[in-house]
Amino acid sequence: MKHSFLDRYSDLDSPVHRIDPRARLIAAFSAIVIIVSEPHGRLLPFAFYGIIILFMTAMTRIPPGFILKRCLAVSPFIIIAAVSYPLSVPGAGVVENGYLLTEGVRSGLTIFLKAFFALVLLILLTSTGKFHRLLAGFRKLGMPRLLGVISALMYRYVFILHDELLRTSRARDSRTPGAIRTSRVRVYGNQAAMIFIRSLERSQVVYNSMLSRGFAGEFPDMDKLRVRAGDVLPAGFFILLLLTVRIISQPLTERLFN
Amino acid sequence: MACGIKIENLSFSYTAGNQVLKNVSLDIGPGEKLGIIGPSGAGKSTLLLHLNGILAGDGVVMIGDTKVEKRSLPDIRRQVGLVFQNPDDQLFNPTVEEDVAFGPLNFGYTRGEAATRVRQALGEMNLEGFENADSHHLSLGERKRVALATVLATSPGVIAFDEPFSSLDSVMVVQLLGIIGRLDATLVIVSQSLLPLASCCDRLAVLVGGEIRACGRKEEVLADEALMREGGVDMGFYREAFKKYLE
Ligand SMILES: Nc1ncnc2c1ncn2[C@@H]1O[C@H](COP(=O)(O)OP(=O)(O)O)[C@@H](O)[C@H]1O
Ligand SMILES: [Mg+2]
Repeated sequence: MKHSFLDRYSDLDSPVHRIDPRARLIAAFSAIVIIVSEPHGRLLPFAFYGIIILFMTAMTRIPPGFILKRCLAVSPFIIIAAVSYPLSVPGAGVVENGYLLTEGVRSGLTIFLKAFFALVLLILLTSTGKFHRLLAGFRKLGMPRLLGVISALMYRYVFILHDELLRTSRARDSRTPGAIRTSRVRVYGNQAAMIFIRSLERSQVVYNSMLSRGFAGEFPDMDKLRVRAGDVLPAGFFILLLLTVRIISQPLTERLFN
Repeated sequence: MACGIKIENLSFSYTAGNQVLKNVSLDIGPGEKLGIIGPSGAGKSTLLLHLNGILAGDGVVMIGDTKVEKRSLPDIRRQVGLVFQNPDDQLFNPTVEEDVAFGPLNFGYTRGEAATRVRQALGEMNLEGFENADSHHLSLGERKRVALATVLATSPGVIAFDEPFSSLDSVMVVQLLGIIGRLDATLVIVSQSLLPLASCCDRLAVLVGGEIRACGRKEEVLADEALMREGGVDMGFYREAFKKYLE
């Protein structure tokens, strides 16, 4: 079956896709740390972060609609957090002297923007290269080997589970004209149990196939990543740019608004 | 290098009181191609799992001069390659290259040697350029070929196939037959697809209810209609069908 729900744009060719996964990992996580450490309440720096991230997105050639859709999936949590914040801080209401941008609202907005930008950065990270290369990058950066193997197996088998889910759902639907008449809970429960048992049996067979090829408990390693200047420079430049915004934003805001 | 297989009085049960293999004995010469037919549930897949010691029943299995037992497993696994029926059971690495390299690396080849073996095995399967492909994005025919490449990469002397022709279109079946014909190894092929099986084997064995009913030259076995019916194949149907359409 054809899958595209996890890595639809990882095959694109863009300057960002060509960067070593380790450099991308470090750049993305540094950026998240820099943006999240921005104090609450100042909005100006987020405009700069937004412009930088927008520019990055354009460079990756990933359609912004795709990224926004992904964000939407998690946005309820973020929105709840952002909206409830101004209401939960003592003394910081939503409206103040007929003015909407109170301290509380601005804090809520910064919470929202921090989460949103972090999310976009993570989506860009996972969409700008094959997942297995990202894992290899994690491993090279010191992720425990077992964790890497488990993640790799999960990534491989999530597609097969997805197939199994589709297949059993089709089988179910083709025999249920209209609404399900028996207990819905029971039908879905049986389906889940079926998928679970099949996965369990499959894991046994997969293990057999691993044994057949000499598996003795140690996963061999074929990673062959090499970092070049072409990887370090753009990643370093990106981090430096965000860091600059982070450092000069405070004096800049003070000068502009006071 | 192809080596012979000798199975003597092999019995096995998954659960007590339910024998799946009953006193199976088979003698397969080096380089020979043996086909095994039998109705589903006859124990064919179970028998194959005994060839490289994944299952261990009562009785003796010899690969060349080596007895299959716990002590000899590393050696046996290197000698005997198993191609599973469903390629999704065989391909568990994110990329084709890692999957094909898995066996050679486990058997102690260096990364450089493993890479050479990957290239050769993929070349033999007409899969050049698939090294970095994700296995889950390949078609079934391609996945089946990658699964075979993972076994070829370790150059085993014995290759056991479980239903290699199932769910392949006829062009792919012919392609696979070509590949099988070129293999320099002792082959044991379990299949319900009589035509391709008969065309690539020297001898045929019929396994019914865990017992070997017959094992002989394919011409003799195919001519025995009662025996073939026991093995789950209605020869009359084939004959009539081909008479009708091929005249
Ligand atoms: N893991 C298992 N546990 C218990 N019984 C099994 C297992 N695998 C197969 N069997 C049973 O063993 C018998 C032979 O199965 P199998 O070797 O898969 O047959 P075949 O490949 O000829 O269709 C069947 O009755 C099957 O139900
Ligand atoms: Mg079987």
